[in-house]
Amino acid sequence: MNRSTSRIITMAAIAIMMVLPAFAGDYPLQVARNVMMYMALAITWDMLLRSGQISFGLAGLVGLGSYATILAVVRGGMPDWLSILFAGLFSGLVAFGIGFFILRLRHTYFSIVTLALGEIFRIIIHNLHDFTGGPEGIVIQQGVMFGGKSGPLYWLTLAGLGVALAASYWFEKSKFHFALTAIRNNEVSAKTSGVNIFRWLLATFVITSAIQGMIGGIFVQSYGFASPDSVFSADFTLLPMAMALLGGIHSTVGPILGGILLGLVSEWLKLQIPYGHLVVYGLMIIVVILFMPSGLLGIARKAGSRKSTDENQRRAV
Amino acid sequence: MSKLTTTDLTRRFMGLVAVNKVSFSMDEGEILGIIGPNGAGKTTFINLVSGIIMPTEGKIEYKGRDITYMPAHERARIGIARTYQLIHPLENLSLLENVMVGSIFARGKSLKAARKQAEKLCAELGLENLDRDPSRLTILEVKRMEIAKALSNEPEVLFLDEVMAGLNADETKDLIATVQKIAKERKLAVGVVEHVMGVIRELTHRVIVLEAGELIAEGPYEEVSKNTRVIEAYLGGAA
Repeated sequence: MNRSTSRIITMAAIAIMMVLPAFAGDYPLQVARNVMMYMALAITWDMLLRSGQISFGLAGLVGLGSYATILAVVRGGMPDWLSILFAGLFSGLVAFGIGFFILRLRHTYFSIVTLALGEIFRIIIHNLHDFTGGPEGIVIQQGVMFGGKSGPLYWLTLAGLGVALAASYWFEKSKFHFALTAIRNNEVSAKTSGVNIFRWLLATFVITSAIQGMIGGIFVQSYGFASPDSVFSADFTLLPMAMALLGGIHSTVGPILGGILLGLVSEWLKLQIPYGHLVVYGLMIIVVILFMPSGLLGIARKAGSRKSTDENQRRAV
Repeated sequence: MSKLTTTDLTRRFMGLVAVNKVSFSMDEGEILGIIGPNGAGKTTFINLVSGIIMPTEGKIEYKGRDITYMPAHERARIGIARTYQLIHPLENLSLLENVMVGSIFARGKSLKAARKQAEKLCAELGLENLDRDPSRLTILEVKRMEIAKALSNEPEVLFLDEVMAGLNADETKDLIATVQKIAKERKLAVGVVEHVMGVIRELTHRVIVLEAGELIAEGPYEEVSKNTRVIEAYLGGAA
């Protein structure tokens, strides 16, 4: 798949999402909101992955952002709009602080620490009973944004996805692309070319974490409720990873493709096997990693290059 | 004027002394050979001066400035570049984009300016079809790309770690001429690690010989090659 095909797919996906509210009812719109949210997380997860760092901290950051928003509203009386931005800012700041320590780790160590950090956030919130509501969670008493109307909430979620898409596109077109690709390939040779590895990783970690926290804020503003079990759900870690892997990593279009496919499948699975759908995601990740490590994009690319080789051979004859 | 100087540079790995009290200097426009048997500490020495590993003892100075513990990416910015024995082209980046990296990060150029600079460097090194994936290059092209990549730092000191390895006689001759040309035009100080003595004889003005981490001889190749200690080092003390 070449660059223009990727752009066409991205544009088509955005166009569909833009016109969807015109003819879809409440239920499809709510499904679409979920898909867009997971897709935004998949894109930001992939952005950090472009440096070679595999984070298992998605749920931790979504949960952190969710609680930043709901506590700012319930305890601090912050306006709804602002509370979503606050979630992004807060998550970004936390990522900046912990990034100084954990971005010196690599591979499995980095992954496990991100997983553990998410768990630490969850336990802290779980135990600060008076402030956070503890395990029972906390409700926005004055109701959710837009009175819970699915139209405006749809646009809000689409805006969140838009931020993730814009950031990812910016990464692809800027020095981030060169820095992260060089780091992923070989850190020693990246240093020799003048890449300040820590600085680029920190910037990437802060930006992606801020967006993940903001998505948490949007989630909470859509449902008006947060509990440790709901906002730190393993879904937030596993589903976006599966989407990016299925679609094809190290790109913007991969998570979009995977997001649409897996998002729709997962909604259907949740209805079919409410308590078993995570098992199916898990199996999907295994199958994808074993049999199609470059995802759907990889398969498309391979088909594309086979075609051009065939053409070359025909021309040679 | 001396560009790069080391004083008693030492690196120990646990009990092993990989580089032991090496003092040397490299001048502007000089091509210096760094030779010695396998395991003599040649690559460790280059790793030390390029900042990939830090010394245990000793001092490194670049244009009179102490850079002993300066991080590698900062050394790239002040003018030290190198190639690697095991070349890892950046996958998912084209040939041209590979050569842009130094301009972008070591020189802080915009992507547009870096692209222009990379095109110039590739033309200078005789590289064509710049949108190719690096995995499609011939071995000679890979070596040329690696040199172009190092030059994109716009260095004053350049280390080439076995850049001729794996090339046939014609290709080697070709690349020797290229290295001589770029070194002369840029007044580069070049440090060359090579196992093929023919290359060292043709290319270098002066050589240093390392054995078991120590500098055992220094001077023009013709002189050093007659040094009994050097001959012993290469023949394992049998001579």
